[in-house]
Amino acid sequence: MSGYWPWWVGAPALATVTFGYWRTVGRTLGASTAWDRVLHWREERAVEQLDAAFDDAGFEAALSAATAEAFGSATVAVATRAVAPSGIEAAPDAPAAAAAPATDADAAPAPAPPVPVAAHAALLASIFVGGLIAAVVSGRFEVRLDMGPDFASLVAGGWRMWPTLFLGGVLAGFGTRLAGGCSSGHGLSGCSRLQPASLVATAAFFGTAVAVSFLLWDVL
Amino acid sequence: MKAPGRRILAGNIAFGLLFGFAIANIGFGDFGELNRMFTFGDLRMLGAFGGGVARAAAAFAVVGRPPPRARLHAGLVPGAMLFGTGWAISGGCPAIPIVQVASGAVPGVATIAGVVVGMAACRRANERWFHLDRGSCGL
Repeated sequence: MSGYWPWWVGAPALATVTFGYWRTVGRTLGASTAWDRVLHWREERAVEQLDAAFDDAGFEAALSAATAEAFGSATVAVATRAVAPSGIEAAPDAPAAAAAPATDADAAPAPAPPVPVAAHAALLASIFVGGLIAAVVSGRFEVRLDMGPDFASLVAGGWRMWPTLFLGGVLAGFGTRLAGGCSSGHGLSGCSRLQPASLVATAAFFGTAVAVSFLLWDVL
Repeated sequence: MKAPGRRILAGNIAFGLLFGFAIANIGFGDFGELNRMFTFGDLRMLGAFGGGVARAAAAFAVVGRPPPRARLHAGLVPGAMLFGTGWAISGGCPAIPIVQVASGAVPGVATIAGVVVGMAACRRANERWFHLDRGSCGL
């Protein structure tokens, strides 16, 4: 008996995290993206500061003025009607081609606010605290310099454990960013929303992990 | 901080705590349990993962809001295969080494260091050679 949760406890817990995160934050959970944003926090903060300093109203006014100057004021009026918010119908005299984009704009969900890099850091720190609480409460917390007997017998023991873990981490880090997601982003969040890219990615990383794990049994 | 920012921060803290607590108690930080999942020697963790996806999918279906799409691109499958290899060898995906270290397994620090180096290398390689728009799972 491992003392770990049975599947019927773990499944609703993971579903609650996956769906609840999206309902609360308006984005999907993904640990590798959080890592990537935190690691490149300087670039992220620069973008956040630019975004905060950007004057939306001033930009729209300048754009309207430039459009009126180039194409005439009637064009600005048509464009304004075309992107009118939901509940305001396009004027009957508006050209069909100009009115069409309004339907697409209305159907699209409002863009979620950007996630600050501090929130990504808080997510990673909270995962640590949650794991710490779980280890202490379950009695599994133990400071140790090994990854357990299975890792030592199947992969590497002694000093070889350290470079092996590092190499595995490099592959996981490089691979998740190249694929645009990991087991939480593609696996949980993407697959539960039936996104084709996430289904393909999950099949690829899970299938590869299965093959490599069998190789560990057969080769090592 | 504005109200949406506070909501995002609170959500990240609350669900980060629950996520770390859940994956640690399911056993994703235990290399032996993970290897038994990948070799189908024990279907418990597979049931937790698959059941979690199925339940969340049902919830998304009920809500019915069209989600943003992750991108299909040339790096998707090669990247996922590299990730699967690294996960099977080290027992760590980007979140799991965090709970390994939290449980007292000091060598998980080496996996985290590898993840950091791998992510930085991918960003550099993409800027220099790949030039892929890889998306980020909607984050």
